[in-house]
Amino acid sequence: MSRLKLPPWFVLLLPAIIILAAVVLIPLLLSFYSSFTSYRLTRPDTLYNWIGTFNYEKAAKSANFWAAFGRTVLLLTIALNVEMLLGLGLALLVNKVTWGQRSLRTIMMFPMMFSPILVGFQFKFIFNDNVGLVNNALQSLGLSDVAIPWLVDANLAMFSIIFAEVWTSTSVFAILILAGLFAIPREPIEAAKVDGCTSWQTFRHITLPFLMPFIYIALAIRSLDVARAYDIVQIMTNGGPARRTELLWTMIGRTGYVDAKMGYANAMGYISIILAVFFTVFFFKKLSAAREELGMAR
Amino acid sequence: MKVKFTYETYKSQTVRLVIDKNLSREEKMKISLQTALKSATAGIALLATLPAQAGDFDGVTLQAKLIGGQQYEALYARISEWEAETGAKVEVISKKNHFELDKEFKSDLAAGTLGWCVGSNHSSFASQYPSLYTDLTPYLTPEFIAEYVPSNIAASKIGDALVMLPRAQFDVSALYYIKSLYEDADNQAAFKAEYGYDLAPPDTWDQYKDQAIFFTDAPNFYGTQYAGKDEAIVGRYYEMVIAEGGQLFNDDWSPAFNSDAGKSALSWFVDLYQAGAVPPGTTSYLWDDLGQGFASGTIALNLDWPGWAGFFNGEDTSKAAGDVGVKVQPQGSAGVRTGWSGHHGFSVTESCDNKEAAASLVAFLTNEDSQKLESSAGPLPTRTAVWNHVVEQSAADPYRSEVLVAFQQAASHAFPAPQTPYWIEATNLIYPELQAAILGDKSIDEALQDASDAVDEMMQENGVY
Repeated sequence: MSRLKLPPWFVLLLPAIIILAAVVLIPLLLSFYSSFTSYRLTRPDTLYNWIGTFNYEKAAKSANFWAAFGRTVLLLTIALNVEMLLGLGLALLVNKVTWGQRSLRTIMMFPMMFSPILVGFQFKFIFNDNVGLVNNALQSLGLSDVAIPWLVDANLAMFSIIFAEVWTSTSVFAILILAGLFAIPREPIEAAKVDGCTSWQTFRHITLPFLMPFIYIALAIRSLDVARAYDIVQIMTNGGPARRTELLWTMIGRTGYVDAKMGYANAMGYISIILAVFFTVFFFKKLSAAREELGMAR
Repeated sequence: MKVKFTYETYKSQTVRLVIDKNLSREEKMKISLQTALKSATAGIALLATLPAQAGDFDGVTLQAKLIGGQQYEALYARISEWEAETGAKVEVISKKNHFELDKEFKSDLAAGTLGWCVGSNHSSFASQYPSLYTDLTPYLTPEFIAEYVPSNIAASKIGDALVMLPRAQFDVSALYYIKSLYEDADNQAAFKAEYGYDLAPPDTWDQYKDQAIFFTDAPNFYGTQYAGKDEAIVGRYYEMVIAEGGQLFNDDWSPAFNSDAGKSALSWFVDLYQAGAVPPGTTSYLWDDLGQGFASGTIALNLDWPGWAGFFNGEDTSKAAGDVGVKVQPQGSAGVRTGWSGHHGFSVTESCDNKEAAASLVAFLTNEDSQKLESSAGPLPTRTAVWNHVVEQSAADPYRSEVLVAFQQAASHAFPAPQTPYWIEATNLIYPELQAAILGDKSIDEALQDASDAVDEMMQENGVY
């Protein structure tokens, strides 16, 4: 009897395949399967109650779900752009520093070191309408004599959340762009100076194209981060009031864990992944184009 | 008959069956089967007549998941007394707040990790896990159960099953107010001139609204505040609907709040917000924000829980200290007082392999001595004898007496949260709509229609009707 002989490449890859299957593939398949059932955490037997695409249809027809989807896209667009511009500015400034730059770089990364939960609590207090720092400062300085409802007003609540997001993550952009700045060769910049380019022209036509691949990588990473924004929002507003700050993952988290409707939550989760996939593909395409422009290999 | 078995009643009063060693193997088998049946029946019958807190459980180890927090620790220190008395061991494998425990219980149900025996429970959460906990009635005597306040026992049942024993952590809200506002002669005169009746702590929710608007001097001082999100605001709305003579749900659990009573209850919240008589951030407030708010001395009237009584009058903790009055909660237009209540309790899991021991522990943790210990720190008891005890104990302290009298009255109007497993899910559908009406995004009619439709759809999806 001949023994089954597996090709050596497969045997060598087998440990990795088994680990990946156990930690990625099986949970993924299980959650995908459960999105076609009426699975409720409190009633384990419902995991076998196949209901077809009911959960997907329900999500597709839910105005609240699509409102949360739209709000997440809005948050993503504003937060990413603001973070990118501020990060770029910060990196350019730090790049000019000649003394104490290392300490400055470390200090710049402080906000990233805080847990998002902590950041949420911090800004919840800062923006509290009654005892919060901002309102008290405005009232003490005589700039306002009303309690501004930062976490309640439809626009201000989104602003407050975006502010917290930007505060905590701008340094991701700054650090990556700074790495890009360090990698720029000196020659083209010097050649541009010799040719009489202004600083703006040098920045616009030499520095920025060199930085674009770094910016796109940062955008891709942060878009995944922001698309699944949860902790900060959960603490600051929990999606409220009146769903004014409801994002995809606060909604999905509440459906899955508080309402215990895991099947429906998973279906919404899978639809939401479209968003992450779209932004990732978009930024990677941009990244390839930028690299091509610089003459780098694709 | 060669069988010799004796009931040996130890100090612990449990039953022991001894089979004669000289019998043949077959006889022993036969006898053990017969006697197992007999002893099981006899054991249960006997246990049912004994004080449940005693038992001989040598070698038994019970795993427990308990609510954690400084205020609950004093009681847990008594567990070692029960261990010494019964020979059993208690292993606390989880200590979290109720919201975290709730998630953990749901995960346990999903994963089937139900090896533990005793769990902290809460009357507002209990109906979500109908299959998790066992009926405690067979393990307790009717006399023992009768020693608890009847409304608390009623709120501890799902159907006929007594799924938990209430501990001395009973919650119902009464009215806290700033006394000096009512003693001020200028206030009295101005109020009488504006509203046509004497200024006194309110007895109806309409008076409460008038006074809250009257006392407001925003942004430095507000007439009142309310919990503005999650289960908290729906609970407040629920009791207000009852006070207005309505119901949140019909008997078949279809939504019943899109009614005149429901609309008039919601307009109370909307009117106060639109009049600016509550802090503008109130829709994001939960209990802690409310407690801190009243203690900051910037709120005139506050419907709140008994646990805050000491905090509100503490020199170190509250700017309102020495100026706090407490009164039974006001009534709605139907002449019914609000009284949404909840209490902590302890339950025994259905899957526990030593339910007698677990029931004995649960009974011990809620017995008279345990409740005296817990209620000495402030929380309200759920046993009649302990109520009398705490009222007597506080005779020398006028504030504490006022608090207890108010809350004893408040407790007599108490009713639990709607006992459906879909209560929390329903609150998650209702509260954003209540907020939308309060903030003016929707009219009261639209908001209640949307909330009612959403709850109706959810109940149908869950096969409730």
